[in-house]
Amino acid sequence: MIQKKICLLGTSGVGKTSLIRQYVEGIFDKKYLTTIGVKIDKKLVQLEHQNVQFMLWDIEGADRYSVFQERYLRGAAAYIIVVDQSRSPSLIEGMDIHTLVRQVHPCPTVLAINKSDLETRWHWNSKELADYKELFDLSFHTSAKTGEQVELMFTELAELLTKER
Amino acid sequence: MDKLPSSEAVDADKQQLQQLQQLRELLLGKDHQLIADVLQRHARGMVGSVLTEALHDRQKQDGTIDKVLQPIVESSVEQSVSSHSDRLIGYLYPLVGSLVRKSVRAFLTDFIEKTNQLLENSLTVKGIKWRIRAKQAGVSFAQYAASQTFVYRVEHLLLIHRETGMLLNSVNYNEHNSSNVDVISSMLSAINDFVADSFTRTSDGNEEQLQTISTDNFTLLIKPGPYALMVAAVTGNAPQQLNDKMQIILENLHRLYDEELRKYDGDATVFTNTESQLRECLLAEHKDAEQQKKKTPWMALVLIGLVTVAACWWGVKWWQSQQLEDAIREIDQQPGIVLQRLSANLDQSVSLDILRDPDAIAVDDWLQQQQIQVPSLNLRERHYHALDGVIVQQRAQRIVADFPDVVLQWQGQQLVLTGNISASGKPNLLARLQSAGFSESDNLDVQQLGIQKLNLDSNHSVLQQMFKQQVGKVTVIQLDFDVASDQINASAQLLLDDVSLRYQHLKLLADSLGYQIGLVIIGTSDQSGSRQKNERLSQSRASNTESALIVLGLNSSELYSVGLGQIEVNSISANARKVLFNVIYLDNIESKEGQEPQ
Repeated sequence: MIQKKICLLGTSGVGKTSLIRQYVEGIFDKKYLTTIGVKIDKKLVQLEHQNVQFMLWDIEGADRYSVFQERYLRGAAAYIIVVDQSRSPSLIEGMDIHTLVRQVHPCPTVLAINKSDLETRWHWNSKELADYKELFDLSFHTSAKTGEQVELMFTELAELLTKER
Repeated sequence: MDKLPSSEAVDADKQQLQQLQQLRELLLGKDHQLIADVLQRHARGMVGSVLTEALHDRQKQDGTIDKVLQPIVESSVEQSVSSHSDRLIGYLYPLVGSLVRKSVRAFLTDFIEKTNQLLENSLTVKGIKWRIRAKQAGVSFAQYAASQTFVYRVEHLLLIHRETGMLLNSVNYNEHNSSNVDVISSMLSAINDFVADSFTRTSDGNEEQLQTISTDNFTLLIKPGPYALMVAAVTGNAPQQLNDKMQIILENLHRLYDEELRKYDGDATVFTNTESQLRECLLAEHKDAEQQKKKTPWMALVLIGLVTVAACWWGVKWWQSQQLEDAIREIDQQPGIVLQRLSANLDQSVSLDILRDPDAIAVDDWLQQQQIQVPSLNLRERHYHALDGVIVQQRAQRIVADFPDVVLQWQGQQLVLTGNISASGKPNLLARLQSAGFSESDNLDVQQLGIQKLNLDSNHSVLQQMFKQQVGKVTVIQLDFDVASDQINASAQLLLDDVSLRYQHLKLLADSLGYQIGLVIIGTSDQSGSRQKNERLSQSRASNTESALIVLGLNSSELYSVGLGQIEVNSISANARKVLFNVIYLDNIESKEGQEPQ
C-alpha cells in the first residue's frame, strides 16, 4: 500500500480541522495543534486498482504575521490550501500561503473553498475565481458541515498522485 | 535458426581487436602491464569490500542473482548428497533425533512454565498485588508484569522515513501490530521537528535531535540516521548494548537500502525484508536472571504430581474393578444361572442381577468357590426353571433321593428308574418328576420300577386304614358349577386332577387289599328353573365329569354317573350346583360288601 504525506494549510478558522474530522481515523487530541502546531490523522482512500493511505498533517493556522513551521512540509506529496468563502480576505490569505509554500516546497496543490453551505461573502467574480483556481492542480467547493466534495477531493488527489508515479 | 558468422565479419572483429590493442599501447605504453598486475593483485580486496552491496543492488535491479545462484547451489547440493550420502545421513541422524527431543522438551518446558506463570500470576498474593497496582497505574496487567519481570524489554521497534515521517516497517514483541503505529510514527517525527525548530542549533551547526523520551512506563530511544530514524519503545532501563545494536542495524539498513531510502515515494513494501534485522533489536533481560533460571516451577510440578497421582489411583481402581467384573462375569457360564446386569464400582462394590434355578449353585457359594472377595454385593436374584442338562439331572437326583429304594440311572437324556417303591409313593414320585420336567412319554422310564408287596398278614389292618382315609379324601371333594352350566371350569379341573390321582392311589391300595372298587359321580342342581330341566342339568354335569376323568386316565368301567336333580333342602337348595363323589368297594376275600355313605 502506498502512503502519502498531505499537509492542510490555511489561516485560523477556515475549517481545516473540521474538514477532516469526520473522515479520518484519528488518535490524537486537537490540543496538539496548539502545543506543537500540528495534528496528524490518517485516511485510507480506496481507488479502483489500489489503496492509498494519506497521512494528513493538519498544520496550525498561519496568518500574514506568523509563519508556519516549514519543517512540517518536508516530504509532503501534496498540500491542500483551505479558504473560507464566508470571509472576504480568506482567499487572498490562502493565496499568500500558497505562494510561500511554492517557494520552499513545490508539489501538487489543492484549493479547498470551504464552508460552501454558507453564503459567499467575498467580491470575486467567477472569472477571477477561475483564474485563482488555475494556480492549483485541483480545486473543490467543500463543506465540513454537509460533507460536500470532501470524499471527492481526497479521491481525486489520490488518483492524481498515483498517476504521477 | 542462427546464421553462422561470415568470414568477413570474423575478419572485421579481429581487426577491431588489433586496433584496440594498438590504442592501449599508445596510451599506456609500458605501464599497461604494470596497471594490469596491480589491478590483479588488489582485485580480491576491491571486490570483497563491495560484494554484499553489489549483490543486493543487482538482485534488486533485475533479480538475476537468484537466477544465477539457484542452479549452482542446487547442483552443488545435489552432487554433495549423491557423493556423500552416507556422510549426510551421519550428519542428519543425530540432528533429527536431537531436533525431535529438543522440540518435545521445549514444548514441555514451555507448557510447565506457562502453567506455573498462570498459577503464580492468578493465585499468588504477588499476582493479585500486581493486578491491583496495574489497575491503579492504568496499564494492562501484561505491561505491569513485564515491567516487574524484566530489567528491560524492547516492546516495539519502528523504522521511520526521516523526511516524510512515514513508517517504513515495525516489529512488536507480542507479535500483534498496532493499527495506529503509522500515525504515531508521523507524530513522533513531528515532535522531533518541533524540538529541532524550537531550540537553537548545536555548536557544530547540527540540528537538535530528540534522543530519548521517557514516560512512566516507556522509554523511547530514537536513533537518527541520514534518511531514516529507528525508534525503540523500551520498558525498564535500556542498556548501552541496545543503543549500540540499534546504531549498527541502522547503519546496515542505510548501506543496504541507500537508494530506496533516498528515493522513497510512499511505497514501504521494499522495506518488508528489514524485519529480520529489526527483530535483532527486540532484546530483553529478565530480572534476577540467575535466580529465575534456578527457580523450580514447584507449583506446576505439585499440580502435575497431584494430577498424576489421582490419575494413577483412578487407573488402578478402575483396573481392579474391571478385573473383578471380568471374574464375576464368569458366573454366566454356570448352569442354571443367567446374568442380566453386572457393574463393579471403583470402591469394589458390585451390583448383580441374575436369574437362578433353585437347584443351581448359590451366588455366595460360587464366589467362595472361585475365591472372589466382594466387599459389598448388591444382589437381585429371581428364580426360574432351567433346562440345562446338569440342572435337570440334579433336580431329578434331589427328588429321587427322597425314595431310598429307587435307583436312578441315565441313558443319555433319559431317566431310568429301577428298584422298588411303595404303592403310595409311586404317584407322589411321578407327580414330582413331572413337575421337574420328566414325563413317561418323553424322558422317563419307570417300567423297571417295582411296587413293593405289602405283607398282608401284618399290614392288612394298616392298609385298610389307609384305604379308608383315601376314600374319605375322595368323597370330601365337591365340584362347583356356574348357574345353568354343565361345563367344568378351571378350578373344578384342578380338583378333578386331584380326584384322578387319589383314585389311582386308591386303586393300588384296593389291589393290595383285594377289593373291587368303583367311583360314583353324582350331579345335583339348585332349585332355579323347572324340575325336568334341573334333572337333565344334574345328569349332564355328572356325565361331563365322568368324561373328564376318563381323559385323565381312569377306567370307564369303574365309573358310574347319576343325576339327582334339584336338592330339596332349604338351607342348601339355592346353591347346590355340584358334582359329588363316592367310592363303592367290595371285599373279595371275605365276600363282604361295603359302602361308606357320605
